Amino acid sequence: MRFYFQQALRGLILFLFTMFIIKLHRTGDLLKLINPKYTVISMIGAAILFLFFLVQLQRVFMVKKKSHVHGHDCSHDHDHGDSPITSRKMVSYAIISLPIVMWLLIPLSTLDSSIAEKKAIMLNLTNNAMSSEPKENDQSENKMDGKGNGLFDGNTEDDVTYHDLPADPNLYSNTVTKDQFEQIEQELELQSSILMSERVYAVYYDRINQEMDKFVGKEITVTGFVYKEADFASDQLVLGRFLITHCVADASIIGFLTEMEDAASIAEDTWIEVKGTIFLEEYNGSRLPAIRVSSWKEINEPAQPYLYPLTVKLV
Amino acid sequence: MHTNVRSYLIDLLGIVLICVSLYIISVSSSLQETFQLPASLYNMNIIFLSIIIEALPFVLIGVLIAGCIQIFITEHHIKRLIPKNRMLAVVMSCVVGALFPACECGIVPIVRRLVAKGVPIYAGIGFLLTGPLINPIVILSTYMAFGNDWRMALYRMFIGFFIAVIIAFIISILYRSHQLKQQYAIQANSLIQIDRVNRQPLKEKIFNMLTHSIDEFFDMGKYLFIGALLAAYVQTYIASESFLMLGNGVASSTFIMMGLAYFLSLCSEADAFIGASFSNLFPPTAILAFLIYGPMIDLKNTLMLLSVFRAKFVFVLLFIITIIVFGMLMIVNRFI
Repeated sequence: MRFYFQQALRGLILFLFTMFIIKLHRTGDLLKLINPKYTVISMIGAAILFLFFLVQLQRVFMVKKKSHVHGHDCSHDHDHGDSPITSRKMVSYAIISLPIVMWLLIPLSTLDSSIAEKKAIMLNLTNNAMSSEPKENDQSENKMDGKGNGLFDGNTEDDVTYHDLPADPNLYSNTVTKDQFEQIEQELELQSSILMSERVYAVYYDRINQEMDKFVGKEITVTGFVYKEADFASDQLVLGRFLITHCVADASIIGFLTEMEDAASIAEDTWIEVKGTIFLEEYNGSRLPAIRVSSWKEINEPAQPYLYPLTVKLV
Repeated sequence: MHTNVRSYLIDLLGIVLICVSLYIISVSSSLQETFQLPASLYNMNIIFLSIIIEALPFVLIGVLIAGCIQIFITEHHIKRLIPKNRMLAVVMSCVVGALFPACECGIVPIVRRLVAKGVPIYAGIGFLLTGPLINPIVILSTYMAFGNDWRMALYRMFIGFFIAVIIAFIISILYRSHQLKQQYAIQANSLIQIDRVNRQPLKEKIFNMLTHSIDEFFDMGKYLFIGALLAAYVQTYIASESFLMLGNGVASSTFIMMGLAYFLSLCSEADAFIGASFSNLFPPTAILAFLIYGPMIDLKNTLMLLSVFRAKFVFVLLFIITIIVFGMLMIVNRFI
């Protein structure tokens, strides 16, 4: 009987991956990475990893290696972890362990405005406003138009944006019925003063961009992080939120161009809550809904800073 | 006696490994505070990890299914289905590939064996192209990656299938012989191996399937992680605007995405998520090129093919795939 070190190493890696996913679930950090609708499938992933770990244990002590009993031809590029460790293998184990190492050593943060810059935020905002103007509700068309405005310009049943209550994102499933969704939309029309809570932010945002003219002059209360671009006037800033469709990698930014006197004194990435009225602003030749601020205050980063799109149940 | 000691050792080892893991986790959490990295690195870290957490379950499920098929289904079944007529065989092989859930790394050895057993090379290629490109997991993950939108998944399926048929047909005109490297040409004896596998007890079969899945996970995990790391890097450090400039036209952006698909060598079960993360930078045609080209051929796959087929054949194949995918997408571009 022999002890196969590499098989043990693989077992260790598999268990660490299992722990990785389980810990993310336990601490709620999972929602810093992916949309809540993937929690179940990621748990399934953890279960498979654990199964693999148990199976892998069986391979560590093997009675004198038999000839292969594998069903497939083993001369292909597969590595069965029996051969001696070479430097090439060290590299591949290092790569495999990379996510674990990064998870363990680097604390999970939330995205900040430097990413917003890379994502061409103003292009997004103006596109959201522009594309919704002339077109009818052909969402999938817009979604694929390659400018990142996809999710916000239509209300087909499948994918509408809507956010969990920040207090306890786990409690809340990000799936609502069609009726509930329509109710949220109707509430927007009825309100004299619009409150952009996390719960309804993306849905309202969507509507406001679609029918800008209808909402001009309305009072609105919004929270978000501050983002500025070089060509902004001294009283301009963007009040942005990240919207996570699947995982942080596809985060896009929604938010409002905001005009306020103190804009210059507020640092980027500061979270603020503003109260103001909606007006239409011209930015680089396109119109978009913006907010003229009457009062504002600084706030702490919300417990769940991201917004998630919502799946509307079809049945 | 021997087996008792072994199972005892295995239990012990399991406990040891779990303890080591927990120790590593607890020690490192205190390490987190000790150093400060540039802010952009935190962003990159979170993007990298999120791609992995998102893709991991799909890769694991894919690997399990691939393991199942490799162990439980013999190439016998598939071979019997392939007709004599050339065009029919091409279409047939593409259909079989589409029904056969495999990923691009798993399919190369299967194709090699099929061809060695007398399946014509063009049918083998058809199978090779559609196997990883079209299968339930890939389609489902594409559907989910693009915001529960069927459009991209359907385009990927049907346009990809059509392209695969064209490529396999061109191969059928160009090549008649098997194109295998010399040492694999005579391999009829692999049949004996299958017989032996069929006689294994079920328990052993399942164990083999799982170990095979684990090997495959380690094998392709590293390609996925490299891909995720590159994607995270691009997102953190390269501004969208410069990308848009780089790939302003549909043609150039399609070409960029095809190059990306080739060098990232992503596994087709997970590439949709990475492709989708580029969807606010590039037009849908370019994203589609990424999704169709990647599973058909990539860097990793090319290396694997070179170990099986003659070098000249592999390069001709690479060339044909590139030209046809690009050309077809340019034609399709006006309709999507």
